[in-house]
Amino acid sequence: MIIARYRTATSFCTEDRMSKTASFIHERLTASGDTTELERIRQFVQDKAREFGFSEQGIHKIALAVDEACSNLIRHSYHLDHAREFFVDISPQDDDALVIEILDNGTSFDPLTVPAPDLNQYAAQHRKGGFGVHIIRMVMDAVEYFPAETSERGNPSQMNRLRLVKKLN
Amino acid sequence: MQLFDPQSVETVMSKFSIEQKNNGSTEVFYLKGFLDAHTAPELESAIAGAIAAGQHRLVVNFNDLEYISSAGLGVFMVFIEEVRATGGDIKLTAMKQKVYTVFDLLGFPMLFDITEKEEEALAKFSA
Repeated sequence: MIIARYRTATSFCTEDRMSKTASFIHERLTASGDTTELERIRQFVQDKAREFGFSEQGIHKIALAVDEACSNLIRHSYHLDHAREFFVDISPQDDDALVIEILDNGTSFDPLTVPAPDLNQYAAQHRKGGFGVHIIRMVMDAVEYFPAETSERGNPSQMNRLRLVKKLN
Repeated sequence: MQLFDPQSVETVMSKFSIEQKNNGSTEVFYLKGFLDAHTAPELESAIAGAIAAGQHRLVVNFNDLEYISSAGLGVFMVFIEEVRATGGDIKLTAMKQKVYTVFDLLGFPMLFDITEKEEEALAKFSA
């Protein structure tokens, strides 16, 4: 399903700003609850971020944040069930930011409630997880979480939504 | 007629490999490709295997690693206390800037010995 969002023409833009104007409006990748999907997801957001005009450093940060969010979702919410699907939506916000939304129909879990990891404590406990959310917060400009409403799961508007924003500059 | 073989696609898509070299008392792991939540278990079992075989001086060479996510970093967290408890260590070396950035974001340089060159990591073990 494609949700269309329309941008107004920017014919009045300067040459510099025109070069940053993405040729896409809104794109969606449908992925399954399988870690083999991570490479395809990274490739999808990298291509869009590059098209939007991000530097290689910015492209890497966006791919990393989306990878971390999807890894957590696939492992901890979907429990590696490859029959379950989620969406990665990407769209420009004005001419200077990219918005990536990850929509899932798992149990709602606000990643923003996860405390920053204490490395020494984690090492002592042999803990290998819990870093992803911290990375997402550090590399993105804005992170918001909207839990699904309780009814009509499966309807895209009723899915959990993690919204990540990265500004061009 | 060519039949679609999902197994071969999977192999191509994985794009991660590990080579191991025993350097006297030190085991060196050469990582190549992309280390994420899908490929991290492969690294975890390789390190677990070396430790089970009695190796506690480990060097991980990142020279050919293009990408790492926190799932990859988590592997080192699992074993670091264990090898240090027996007088060993996991030393990390030859990272590309992009890979080092992820370690740095999480403060790993405070906990792990990260060197620019493999020789430096090896020399620290023999010092």
